[in-house]
Amino acid sequence: MSDGPLIVQSDKTLLLEIDHEQAAACRKAIAPFAELERSPEHIHTYRLTPLGLWNARAAGHDAEQVVDTLLEFSRYAVPHSLLVDVAETMARYGRLRLEKHPTHGLVLASNDRPVLEEVLRAKKVAGMLGERIDPDTVVVHASERGNLKQALLKIGWPAEDYAGYVDGEAHPIDLDESEWSLRDYQREAAESFWHGGSGVVVLPCGAGKTLVGAAAMAHARATTLILVTNTVSARQWKDELVRRTSLTEDEIGEYSGAVKEVRPVTIATYQVLTTKRKGVYSHLELLDARDWGLIVYDEVHLLPAPIFRMTANLQARRRIGLTATLVREDGREGDVFSLIGPKRYDAPWKDIESQGWIAPADCVEVRVTLPDDERLVYATAESDERYRLASCTHRKVDVVKSLCERHSGEPTLVIGQYLDQLDELAAALDAPVIKGETTVKERQRLFDAFRSGEIDRLVVSKVANFSIDLPSAQVAIQVSGSFGSRQEEAQRLGRLLRPGDPGPDGMRKVARFYTVVSRDTVDAEFAQNRQRFLAEQGYAYRIIDAEDVLTG
Amino acid sequence: MVRVSTTGPDAAAPRAGYRSLADQLRAWPDDRLTRLLSARLDLATPAPHDSGQLASRAATRSSILRALDQLTRTELAVLDAVVVAGHATRATLPSILHASTDNVDAALVTLLDRALVWESAAGLRPVTGAGEAMVAGSAAGTSGLRPCSAEPMAASEIEAHVSQLSPQAEAMLRHVLDSGGEATSGTARTTVSPDRARTPAEELIARRLLQPRGDGSLVLPGEVGLVLRGGRTTSEPVDAVPEVATSARDAALVDRTGAGAAFEFVRRVEQLADAWAVRPPSCLRNGGLGVRELRAAAGELGVEERYAALVVEVAAEASLLAVGQTVDGEPVWLPTDELDRWVAKEPAQRWLVLARAWWGSNRLPGLVGSRDTAGKTWNALVPELAGVHQVSTRGLVLSELAGLPAGQVLATGTGLPGLVERVAFLRPRRPRTRDDMVAWAVAEAADLGVTGLGGLTTYGRLLVDGDDAAAVLAALAALLPDPVDHVLVQADLTAVAPGPLESSLARRLATVAAVESRGGATVYRFTPASVRRALDLGWTAIEVHDFLAEVSRTPVPQPLTYLVDDTARTFGSIRVGHAEAFLRADDETALAELLHHPGASSLGLRRLAPTVLISTLPLDMLLPRLRALGAAPVVEGPDGTVQVARPDRLRARTPRAQRSGGARAARDAASVAAVVVAVRSGDAAAASRPAAAPELSPSGSLAALREAMDARAAVVIGYVDNHGGRSERLVEPVSLDGGRLVARDRRSDDVREFAVHRITSVRRA
Repeated sequence: MSDGPLIVQSDKTLLLEIDHEQAAACRKAIAPFAELERSPEHIHTYRLTPLGLWNARAAGHDAEQVVDTLLEFSRYAVPHSLLVDVAETMARYGRLRLEKHPTHGLVLASNDRPVLEEVLRAKKVAGMLGERIDPDTVVVHASERGNLKQALLKIGWPAEDYAGYVDGEAHPIDLDESEWSLRDYQREAAESFWHGGSGVVVLPCGAGKTLVGAAAMAHARATTLILVTNTVSARQWKDELVRRTSLTEDEIGEYSGAVKEVRPVTIATYQVLTTKRKGVYSHLELLDARDWGLIVYDEVHLLPAPIFRMTANLQARRRIGLTATLVREDGREGDVFSLIGPKRYDAPWKDIESQGWIAPADCVEVRVTLPDDERLVYATAESDERYRLASCTHRKVDVVKSLCERHSGEPTLVIGQYLDQLDELAAALDAPVIKGETTVKERQRLFDAFRSGEIDRLVVSKVANFSIDLPSAQVAIQVSGSFGSRQEEAQRLGRLLRPGDPGPDGMRKVARFYTVVSRDTVDAEFAQNRQRFLAEQGYAYRIIDAEDVLTG
Repeated sequence: MVRVSTTGPDAAAPRAGYRSLADQLRAWPDDRLTRLLSARLDLATPAPHDSGQLASRAATRSSILRALDQLTRTELAVLDAVVVAGHATRATLPSILHASTDNVDAALVTLLDRALVWESAAGLRPVTGAGEAMVAGSAAGTSGLRPCSAEPMAASEIEAHVSQLSPQAEAMLRHVLDSGGEATSGTARTTVSPDRARTPAEELIARRLLQPRGDGSLVLPGEVGLVLRGGRTTSEPVDAVPEVATSARDAALVDRTGAGAAFEFVRRVEQLADAWAVRPPSCLRNGGLGVRELRAAAGELGVEERYAALVVEVAAEASLLAVGQTVDGEPVWLPTDELDRWVAKEPAQRWLVLARAWWGSNRLPGLVGSRDTAGKTWNALVPELAGVHQVSTRGLVLSELAGLPAGQVLATGTGLPGLVERVAFLRPRRPRTRDDMVAWAVAEAADLGVTGLGGLTTYGRLLVDGDDAAAVLAALAALLPDPVDHVLVQADLTAVAPGPLESSLARRLATVAAVESRGGATVYRFTPASVRRALDLGWTAIEVHDFLAEVSRTPVPQPLTYLVDDTARTFGSIRVGHAEAFLRADDETALAELLHHPGASSLGLRRLAPTVLISTLPLDMLLPRLRALGAAPVVEGPDGTVQVARPDRLRARTPRAQRSGGARAARDAASVAAVVVAVRSGDAAAASRPAAAPELSPSGSLAALREAMDARAAVVIGYVDNHGGRSERLVEPVSLDGGRLVARDRRSDDVREFAVHRITSVRRA
């Protein structure tokens, strides 16, 4: 009986015992083909999916390597059917090839005629293919490159893309590493992206994804379009690029609701691209405004559906997606993979934390009991009102107040979903509030004041969920959210994870993340669901009762 | 009673030969007769009276067909040659066969042993009817030649005739030869000389290469066919054993893979039985399992339907599943009470039960889901889903796998077709579905873990070879993962058992947590619902905590502790002991309330401690009264554990125990021995029969019987039995009264009654 760290389950999950001495080697060996699904403290769960296996094929691994790896590290006998399945799945990749034909342009070619015949008859690819040049080759409409790849993936015959990328308009970009240097994992992430051509890099919040983007740009050395979630984030990107690369302010343009500049490096918001005027997307020409050599998608998990469609037309350009939480509540992770590219780099949050690049966090769920009168209202309310009622209970204000007092002096964010509740909290805490209606200027001012320590409490709505860099924040208290959204929870925690400078006592900061929920209501159920992503990343939530907080 | 043959039983070199097959059987030593009866079991039931009857039974068509089914292609070809040659001898036989002398000799010994060929004074003779029973075709091992004529032409003469044929006539001759050796004369004249022949047919008839039979058909005699084929019955070799493609595999890896599959199979049977105990699938009117139920079972187990069909079939074959009834009387498939015994065994033992059931099963799970000839889908578990050849085909397949060289396994892809060919060679007369059966046997063996990666495992070999339970268990147990007694509990509210859990532990854990993923390891998830389920079954929060602390190798994470407490918060806590006399509760006031309840005076309650009361009432009276008072007691066992009203797990009766392979073999051996004795006794009866004793009149019969009674002598009576069959019995009369003769039957060696009116004759022995 071998004593490996890996247990291969018949449902295609792989359990990796991380305290095992071979665990690190094993993780390295299985990472190319298995998707990390959960990484709690003792046993990490990976899953074998067709997509993962095909990505491994695309990266040059073959079925034999995969099987050998499983056999080498497995503690028990590997189910034979699983090995057969792995071999069969991987053999499906590359039967079809997307190629550049000297006269016909983009073509779909195959040596396996039955497969080609099957694909040609599939409803899903109808209309994407043109005439048949010879028995083994079919013309592909150039604009359908992305859609075709996506459709082929869905019918189980993924095409290998040999058509390559356009270089784009060259533009010199270099990292300016005089005062800092790229961290190992950032360098690895940028390099594995570059070797793969296109793809998604998954790193925890606060781990410096912007720098991975910058490094990718330095690899491409070409004009770059950066798509970000909002204007504040666009400014942050610009500042960071100016600081970390050879780019100057004049070379970087902002394309948002307020400013419309197209420069060698252009930062655009998702919002402006998806703005419709008279039923048409009026800013789409930005995508063709220059011969972009690289497109960066920040927070790729938020990519809106129209951008998905546009992205399908950009298959000839290199694309990099950046995210901390590749979970979409709409389940469209697969679309991200097929349109942007496969996952090229992934690091468990706890790994980065143990290297000291993100702050350790203490997650606490505080349970309040609804007062009897509110319970009655809650019990008789319509189901669509229940979450709002439960999460906006008055009891939470007292708890938040008492938590703020406990952490007085430490920069604290109070995050919520409902504006009434936020206003009430702002009044009770005597703190400014940032919501959707707050102007960009005002937001910038408040964030700057918070960063500089001028104010230590800030009440924010969901506008601050993403991409807002607040390195000084140490405590976050969330009182309500968008139902059971796992990525919102993770992103909110992410606001706290920038590792600030060590304090006067030499101790690094420990982020405090409080969630205040109402006991025995849907609020608690949603909280459970929200915590799943972080719990799977190894964050242990403590649960305490509100009474313990209030009595100190 | 055994008569010693004067011709001598030396079968290896009989000089003189026998007059008949019966004569040969009579001359055989007992062990040889035993061998015959073991190989052709149908001859022994019902027991034949004597060698004569045995010989005639051996020549019946149905018995010959059965015997032929058990022959290899070489053996069939040798038998065919014996039929064709008519009077071949051991020395001449190899010369007319396209096979090596050794193989022919070996095949001949088998044929002689099976009484398909016997040695007459004139040479080897096939048993009457053997020729007709053989189907034509080289795949079935026959040459398609007709038997030689009684007075064959010399080979040289035939050759001369053939050489003088016109090309058309020769082509026609060869065509007749290749299509069964028979033709119709049509308009051809059958009485012409070679010079006057006008057509090729007449030419052949004139040269006696085709011989007319009375009915207008022409026959190509065997001797002509032999000449045309160069002196041999076939042009292809008949002893070429097909090759099976193999590839090299480490034996240890084969064992590990097999053991992994074996463990999975056992686990899945248990999982299925657990699921069916709670939600039994209904039993179709045809006795089977519906397509939808099978699909549901496959979904439950997370396997393909093919595998699920095998699981249910093997479990049913092992008497772990049977048809039972729900409370409403609906017929459903249920685990049997045998399952409870099975579950308590070690994994290796559990596997052995399943593997043996499979090994001896004639079921065809491979057919499930396909359509029968009438277009109806085959359901699993229907009684008709069985094949007579399944057991022997499976045996052949596995013995072929066992015969592969060490370190070699069936090659992926190319191995199976070779194996099909090999089995076709060994049993050429098997039905057309044989290819499927071989493939199923290979697939099923892999699913059960008898084989791994296409090679027979060491324990599988032991199972196939001798069914030595202890050896199989020892070999398998060493390969199965050791059970673990702990889990790793994690903060995301999952627990992982990094190996198979001890059975009792697994069951307890499955109460508290839901299973999320199964396999070598098991992943459990704790949810409020799962913890509540445990509380429903009588656990207290303290017990859950203690249990978790006990099984977890790592500190129990705070969220889980909180989850348990939070779930237990709303749960009641009064419990009553089964020792009839005590009530205890953590809640003192509840007890106080009970004690002082006006209706409680008749309960004879007394307070022992703040949290314990005792009662003088027996439990069955106490419980309803307590409930009437509004308490919600839980019953506790004498060892302090809570006895739980768990959801009823229904059980069906175990079907009648099946005999093990060993018992069956012993029974067969015993009955064969009895038949040998009976045949010998019959022979003795025949031998002691006077050549032509006069038959007696009915009154004379009675007289003769009485006379024999007085003289204490034996008589031979002709007797018509219940079925109208007439037989002769050698009996010693004991009494004669009321139309009934009581006599000792020498053959069966017991005292029996005979109706006098059925006695047709009496002769003095």
